[in-house]
Amino acid sequence: MSGATWEVAESCVDSLNMELVATYYKRLHPTKPELAARRIEAIGYQVGLQLAERYTRDRPRFSDHLESIKFICKDFWAEVFKKQVDNLKTNHKGVFVLQDNRFRWLTRISVDALPLAGAQNESAVAANAVRASQAAGQYLYFPCGLIRGALTNLGVPCGVSAEVTTLPACAFVVRIKV
Amino acid sequence: MIVCVAVVGHNNNPLYLQSFVDDDNTLKFHYIVHCSLDVIEEKVSNSKRAGVNLNETFLGLLYPTEDYKVFGYMSNTKIKFVLVTTDHDLRDADVRNFFRRLHGAYVDAASNPFHVPGKRITSAAFAERVSNVVKTFGFGAAA
Repeated sequence: MSGATWEVAESCVDSLNMELVATYYKRLHPTKPELAARRIEAIGYQVGLQLAERYTRDRPRFSDHLESIKFICKDFWAEVFKKQVDNLKTNHKGVFVLQDNRFRWLTRISVDALPLAGAQNESAVAANAVRASQAAGQYLYFPCGLIRGALTNLGVPCGVSAEVTTLPACAFVVRIKV
Repeated sequence: MIVCVAVVGHNNNPLYLQSFVDDDNTLKFHYIVHCSLDVIEEKVSNSKRAGVNLNETFLGLLYPTEDYKVFGYMSNTKIKFVLVTTDHDLRDADVRNFFRRLHGAYVDAASNPFHVPGKRITSAAFAERVSNVVKTFGFGAAA
């Protein structure tokens, strides 16, 4: 069993994440979106713990936080999202911003556009972008938990939040707890 | 002969301990494994200062006792694996291979959705994998 690579169809993962959000937000906690978000994040956390254990096999131990974050940006991202993080920024005080310009799990999300009154109606375009970001936000609690779980297991206790600017780009903000 | 295998969590909490001798004196092995944790701690913090062996997961021989030799391995997630054996001339490669396979078994056990992180491993499948790894130790068999 060890050594073999196990793969999962991407469409299954996409559907699972969509259904996870639908179940928690619409069925289980329709009136408490914060609770639903926390629950989804907790599931991601557990998965992240397990994935970190698996992906760091046969790898020398990391000596500091930056190395762990780099591992998340490169190898972990490549395993889970099939690409690497596009940009990593830090303020050297424990905050890291992982910018992904084409986040895999958001590439197939689209929002019904509001009817545009004029061809160059900028405010309507902007409004659509805001709605898209809001809609995408709830699908990012699972990956947030995933990253937090992986980092916590690697000895980097942290909080992770996500920001969507324009689909499918998004940024994950990692705040290391001291 | 391997007499004991143990898995210890990142807070030095015991996750799994299995002895492979008949007298069933597991308490003795708890002592030995507990002692080895200090040696692991020392090795890990020293390697950072000395810059040698570059944070390798395999920690080598931790300490010999009168009857046993104790080997250690620490994963990236601070999970420690301890091996207690009576053999005196072991090949390094065999021990490394043993720990690699043990780690593999642990990874699969930890990925079990019914396993609570930080709690003892109770899975029968894991116990079987471990005794399998122990049985084939030294034969160069691949999992």
